[in-house]
Amino acid sequence: MDLSKYLGLFVSEAGEHLAKLGQDLVRVEAAGRAGEPMAELVDEMFRHAHSVKGMAASMEQDGIAQVAHRAEDLLGALRGRREAPRADVVDALLAAVDALQGMVDAAAAGGRPEPDAALLERLAARFDEESGEDGAARDATPKRVQTTFVPPPPEPVPEPAPVPESVPAQKADARRRREVRVVIGPGCPVPAVRAFLVTRKLSLFGELLEVQPSIEDLRAGRIPARRVTIALATEQAPEVLVAALATISELHSVEVDGPAEPRAGIDLAAADGASAPAAAAPSREPERAEGARTVRVKAELLDQFLDALGELILAAARIREVGKTIPEPFRPPLDEGVNRLHATVMDLHDKVMSVRMTPIAAVFDRLPRAARDLARRTGKQVEVEIRGSDIELDRSMLDAIADPLLHVLRNAVDHGLELPEARERAGKPPSGRVEVQARRDRDRVIIEIADDGRGMNADKLRRAAIARGALAESQAASLSETEVWLLACLPGLSTADTVTEVSGRGVGMDAVKRSVEELGGAVTIESAAGAGTRVTLRLPLTVAVQPVLLVRVAEEILALPISKVHGAALVEVERLERRHGAPVLSHHGVVVPVHDLGALLGFGAQAGGLRSVVVADADGARVGFAVDALLGEEEAVMKPLAGPLERIGGLSAVTVLGNGRPVFVLDVQRLVA
Amino acid sequence: MNKRVLIVDDAVFMRNMIREILAGAGFDVVGEASNGVEAVERWRELRPDVTTMDIVMPFRSGIEATREIVGAEPGAVIVMCSALGQESLVMEAIEAGASDFIVKPFKPEEVLGVVRKVLGVA
Repeated sequence: MDLSKYLGLFVSEAGEHLAKLGQDLVRVEAAGRAGEPMAELVDEMFRHAHSVKGMAASMEQDGIAQVAHRAEDLLGALRGRREAPRADVVDALLAAVDALQGMVDAAAAGGRPEPDAALLERLAARFDEESGEDGAARDATPKRVQTTFVPPPPEPVPEPAPVPESVPAQKADARRRREVRVVIGPGCPVPAVRAFLVTRKLSLFGELLEVQPSIEDLRAGRIPARRVTIALATEQAPEVLVAALATISELHSVEVDGPAEPRAGIDLAAADGASAPAAAAPSREPERAEGARTVRVKAELLDQFLDALGELILAAARIREVGKTIPEPFRPPLDEGVNRLHATVMDLHDKVMSVRMTPIAAVFDRLPRAARDLARRTGKQVEVEIRGSDIELDRSMLDAIADPLLHVLRNAVDHGLELPEARERAGKPPSGRVEVQARRDRDRVIIEIADDGRGMNADKLRRAAIARGALAESQAASLSETEVWLLACLPGLSTADTVTEVSGRGVGMDAVKRSVEELGGAVTIESAAGAGTRVTLRLPLTVAVQPVLLVRVAEEILALPISKVHGAALVEVERLERRHGAPVLSHHGVVVPVHDLGALLGFGAQAGGLRSVVVADADGARVGFAVDALLGEEEAVMKPLAGPLERIGGLSAVTVLGNGRPVFVLDVQRLVA
Repeated sequence: MNKRVLIVDDAVFMRNMIREILAGAGFDVVGEASNGVEAVERWRELRPDVTTMDIVMPFRSGIEATREIVGAEPGAVIVMCSALGQESLVMEAIEAGASDFIVKPFKPEEVLGVVRKVLGVA
């Protein structure tokens, strides 16, 4: 059979099982600590490992199957436990999950990865410890080579009561003792199970008097010479018994004899061979079975859909614009067509967007594991509570927030949470808590990451900002509380007493704030010394379509993301009050410096008179931009800047208006930085 | 008339594989189920000639599903799909009324051999 066409399905399905196994491992640790029941979770994990093993074996990926098998063994040994698995056991299993995912990736690339001997050894060692400790007390499970499954406490075997040989004959004349001898075929990997099936089948036709080897031996896998002999008290003729056993596969031979009856027998080996002709050529037409209700689509394809749709929206708008130029009598039919096109395209757009919506679980699910690993490294304890995993975001947004979220979480564990002893001294439980929550607020998604750690020290933040020269002392004193916490987002600012492996590299809060704002979102921080820190991210649902405010400056049309716009005012700039030589506007009680947008962009300053000032948000501060006219709002399909345009400061993206005119979207922060 | 088959497995991957093997050999794959609860429902609704049944599945195991199906219809033909190392579970399934079993990883001809034989079609 050609296995290659199953590869994609194998890779994605195995990947899902491994991801869930990884999450469950982290959950089981927390559940164990909290004294919550774990049995179901352990069963589920066992099932995931088992599924991966089965699939891998079917794909002839023996290396993957081997590792999964050892993981399954170890999980099997955890079944029926009441206490949380030891951390080193979870470590070993997580290492196995990581290794397996790596191997599945290698298989996806066409490889046949070999298992890591050290990992197999490690899993086996943990298994030996786990099954050795109280394994003997649990049940008489044979050794690991024999079974991968610790059966539930064995129910009493419904063994027929031993019947003396003479009884059947006395009881009923019709019943005779017949002896059935069966040899299991050499190809059968589990001859004892087959023999067990034979005994079961025969029991439907009479009473089992004796089974050799015994039922217990068969259950334990013992069947010398693949031969089983069953004595049966039955009314049936030998031919009937032979015919009954003919439906069972992999029997090499069946013989039945009894007193005063001719021997009946059949050599099944030939029949077995004959019943296995080469499989007919697999039908080219896939069966329209129930499985076809959902399909898996490559994520890139969804991106291409959206790109193509963006083009379609623009093309439709372009046709509408052109339609305005044709003579009036010809317009109604064209308008009708254009309207229908527009409605269909927008409907399609909504559908594509809804397909692209992905539960935030895709990102959230990784957080508990990350927190656990980090806590293990830093000697802390952490429990992560996730809420709102089912909230959906556009794929593009999910990809973009994965790293910032991970960083906020790391900060919470690394800087926020205290060591267990310190927590106990502070009257807190030794294990720190991080709550991660997502919720919808109209067209926004709010994500909060809150820890119950030491919190931040406002004075320390102020001093650090002053020391870095980011803030004058007078300014520092006048900052509002909200603004003080945001100082934590200043580039390179750290109040951490010690630099850890984690905080020493990678992005800081400044990068988190920057990426969230680039996505059209905002960051706020609240903190209380001794009680913890809460970081809140407000995000749009998608990065691909954003509402913008169109403005005109010196005959140019430009766009500002609505998420950055606070309001607008109509003023004569010359008459504004000036501070430090620059005009300032009082907007809702806040003093806002006003810049001439034309001058900022190098178009030259505009003539005076009544002008519109757009008040926007730049790094938490308000700033005004004087423009010639406000042209209105539009839903803009954002296209990233390519090539040299990317390097121009102050521009973040480009969009195309209905009339085909390209319009640049301004990056407010960088304009005034 | 072609024999009608219900395929029960929690892995789409395994279902597709078994479906291709059986459909390619002229069986009518009339339905699929991905867990033990669904299996019983689909079986009641479809009354297939034969059911291939995975053992380890969410919600309800293949063994429990088999027990319920055979309990309701002793003539039901159920072939367990097991893996090496599941011997004790297969025996439990046999006690629950399974007609035969196949062991993963399996070859197409093995699947066909067992299914044909259990149905008494050569």
